[in-house]
Amino acid sequence: MANDLQLPVFTNTSEQEVSGKWGMVIDQDLCTGCQACVAACSMENNVPFVGEEDANYGRSMHWIRIERFWSGTFPEVKMTPYQPMLCQQCHNAPCEPVCPVFASVHSASEDTNLQVYNRCVGTRYCANNCPYQVRVFNWRDYTDARARPWLTSLQNQLSPDVTVRRRGVMEKCTFCIQRIHQAEQVAASENRSIADGDVTPACAQACPADAIVFGRIDDPNSRVSQAALNARGYHQLDELRTTPRITYLHGASNGSNG
Amino acid sequence: MSPEISRRDFLKLASVGAATTAALTGCGPASRYVTREPYVKMPEYNYNGLSTYYATTCRECSAGCGLVIRTFQGRALKVEGNRDHPVNMGKTCPRGQITLQGLYNPDRVTDPLHRKQRGSNDGEKMDWDAAVQVVTDALTHNQPNEVAFLLGMTPDHLFDMVSDMTKAMGAPAPIRYGAPAMFESRATLVQAAQTVFGQAALPSFDIGGADLVVSFGANFLEPWLSQVSQTRGYRNLRQGTPNHRGLFVQFESRMSQTASKADEWIPNKPGTEAVLALAMGRIIAEARGLPLPPAFATADVNQAASQADINADDLKRLATILGNAQRPLVIPGGQALAQSNGLQTAQAILSLNAFLGNLGKAGGVYLSPIAPLEDAYHRPASAKEMADFVGTLKKGAVKVLFVHGVNPLFELPKSLSFADALKNVPQVISFATFPDETALEADYVFPDHHGLESWGYQKVATGSNASVLSGAQPVVSPFHNTKATVDLLLAASQAAGGQIASALPFKDELEYIQSKLSTMLSNANGFFTAPEINSFTAYFQQHGGWWSTGDDRLAPTAADALNANIGASVSQFDGDGEFFLLPFVSPTLAEGGANKPWLQELGDPTTTVMWNTWIEMNPQKADEMGIQDNDIVTIVSPFGALEAPVYRYPAIRPDTIAIPFGQGHTAYGQFAAKRGVNPVDLLPQKYNEAGDLAYAGVKVHVQKTGRARKLSKMEGVLGVYGFDAKQ
Repeated sequence: MANDLQLPVFTNTSEQEVSGKWGMVIDQDLCTGCQACVAACSMENNVPFVGEEDANYGRSMHWIRIERFWSGTFPEVKMTPYQPMLCQQCHNAPCEPVCPVFASVHSASEDTNLQVYNRCVGTRYCANNCPYQVRVFNWRDYTDARARPWLTSLQNQLSPDVTVRRRGVMEKCTFCIQRIHQAEQVAASENRSIADGDVTPACAQACPADAIVFGRIDDPNSRVSQAALNARGYHQLDELRTTPRITYLHGASNGSNG
Repeated sequence: MSPEISRRDFLKLASVGAATTAALTGCGPASRYVTREPYVKMPEYNYNGLSTYYATTCRECSAGCGLVIRTFQGRALKVEGNRDHPVNMGKTCPRGQITLQGLYNPDRVTDPLHRKQRGSNDGEKMDWDAAVQVVTDALTHNQPNEVAFLLGMTPDHLFDMVSDMTKAMGAPAPIRYGAPAMFESRATLVQAAQTVFGQAALPSFDIGGADLVVSFGANFLEPWLSQVSQTRGYRNLRQGTPNHRGLFVQFESRMSQTASKADEWIPNKPGTEAVLALAMGRIIAEARGLPLPPAFATADVNQAASQADINADDLKRLATILGNAQRPLVIPGGQALAQSNGLQTAQAILSLNAFLGNLGKAGGVYLSPIAPLEDAYHRPASAKEMADFVGTLKKGAVKVLFVHGVNPLFELPKSLSFADALKNVPQVISFATFPDETALEADYVFPDHHGLESWGYQKVATGSNASVLSGAQPVVSPFHNTKATVDLLLAASQAAGGQIASALPFKDELEYIQSKLSTMLSNANGFFTAPEINSFTAYFQQHGGWWSTGDDRLAPTAADALNANIGASVSQFDGDGEFFLLPFVSPTLAEGGANKPWLQELGDPTTTVMWNTWIEMNPQKADEMGIQDNDIVTIVSPFGALEAPVYRYPAIRPDTIAIPFGQGHTAYGQFAAKRGVNPVDLLPQKYNEAGDLAYAGVKVHVQKTGRARKLSKMEGVLGVYGFDAKQ
């Protein structure tokens, strides 16, 4: 007798059928690399710091980081425009099918990638398979004040809306799902649907250059949908057909385009 | 809630206009502090699960950005920008975001301390009554001219209060200093404005309104004057005008974070900015067929290009673009002015703006609005004035030194030997919130509240079109046994009696602040007015300050600027080393960020290094010297030496090395102490004509040590396995 375990089924929906719900546009021409988004994200989402030694191993926990690359040698050297890199919330997410315990799953209601912390057993397959390298792993108990007494007072600022993660758990950008849910609840209590601008993730809220726009991509009139129509728009690693939810706008910097 | 005020009264006060904004008035003015209450006794406005937001002012630098702090059951959880505030318009920089790690820092000074032996970590805890007595005795047992106050660039209400106090007792006025002002070369900017425009004001550069910005080493996307407002200006430069992307050119010997956003980066030799600016003026004048103004008459284009080690054709091309721009703007940066010829450089650049006709026009040069409660712009002390002050201390003329908001042992060039000068001061009283180097050398530490626990205001010096008095209020009750320094000084003034007591008849800090605000009640320029002080204070708290609704920038005039012979030449350098030394302010840490672990863990924007000091060296030059990444080298200047690992930085002149300022603490808590090195150890005792330190005017030797230390950085170690692409 076959048991129906009701396991989630992964389907590779063709890109034409994909509408999406939440999305982001990042304008690299405006990004000044100042790190305000990184700071705001870490403060909002209880992201721990790991210290100099672990950071040296590449274990730092930034959910968003600013990349830049070099070409040429002095004096013809060029820096590429700053590129904030965070979870692209792919529709066809390479991190999802490889998780043996269904900790990395797709949200049907928000159409984002979820990481279910209490399912995660730390195989790190998802991070291995993420072409954007935006998943970070808790190699130690970075938030345990028993092991790290200096955290005792710092933990006063932990947000009660966001889970504090323990050792052995993978984590990543959530598009500030707690802010999305709060805005949805407020809208529901006022008997209306979410309006454009109701949700601003911490990174977009802080960005002094206003280089990050967030909103509903299923609403063609939203600010983010309009911004994504820009001729400078592109998707990171588009050739992998991951259908990312983040559209980048090419920036020019130091004479080099893109 | 304080027992002085009922909930009903509080709600009456707090609800003045509260419906229109998310930011609540913290408490009515009669209730001095927010208190944490047990869960079962929550005030009725504080619903379980809902946050309360308080507007206040950031104290991480002196720009005066407005913050709205999300608090939850008495704890501050998140910093957000105040959307209505004219300086930052809802945005923040990373240091503003991480100010909470200062509030909750495990290394804060928790109690007033009496240190029996200077430099020792052991202090005896005191009670505040004894502390008031110590301050009272210090004020009364010394002659007024033997009392000195050294204050930081924030907060302004404390500066005003100490000014009033020293005036009443006949003591010298308080001295203000901060390393940012030194690195910005503020004194030179103000002096040049005096010379060229006839007004000693702080120039304001309308980056957002320009269509071409030429910057001579101005790091305006980094901690320089007002980072957040200037970043907004940058956005408007690029996208503020529909279908027209403004251009940006940066002259700088190293590609800074700001230069990395430029369309063109011209790595000129340090100290040649004045001759370059004058040469550009000459090229434009000649192209326009105008009679050559005397200011540009001595400029020689080809010579300037060769002195700056840049291509003469590039110089001519850029000058032509500048001459053809509709709204051109030229900005002098701190490092360009930190040279022996810094004042001439500032004059040359301001005169070039005058020649381009952009004074007081959109996209041009203005004078920053005069803040409320001010008669004029009062700049912090220049390095030269600090040297004079240190000289006074060395002579033993000062018997008691009060220090607040500044850490001179870290922020002053070591060659000034402030440490030696302190030995000749019999009594040093620090009000430090954190155990910094200067607090460690103080006899008493009477810790002030953290900025988020404090009342106050900040007079915005620049960064807004409006005249702004940014307001601060406690967003949480004090976590430790600290006391507002204004309260402490008011109590001591009353105890001292006499003229001080009658000049400062205030019960506490808020009453003092209200006495200042009361002069603004009927100022119709503001976006609010109030019939009496309590309502005014409530609005002031609720909105995070007072600002005018108009454009208060002043249009400078420069009738004779172009007739002056500026006589600029290439600057003179100290030392005979093979490298120009370029110290720059760390874009993430600035002067006070090193004790906040998350600021330490932000990658530097250009190098991605975290948690340490690095030395930037050109890779080709490093190859010649056989230096690899992470190799520790010794830098020797005529004034000192230090060791740090090398980061082979692709975008720096081969004859220049750069080193960030922000690390190298010997104290200041566990996250800051014994980490990296401080470039002020290398700086000369040489000043430009405006009294700013010629910190970029020194040449240094670089020697290999044969040792290495791997720098923590973001690049090359991406991915969960710490893969290093270079190995």
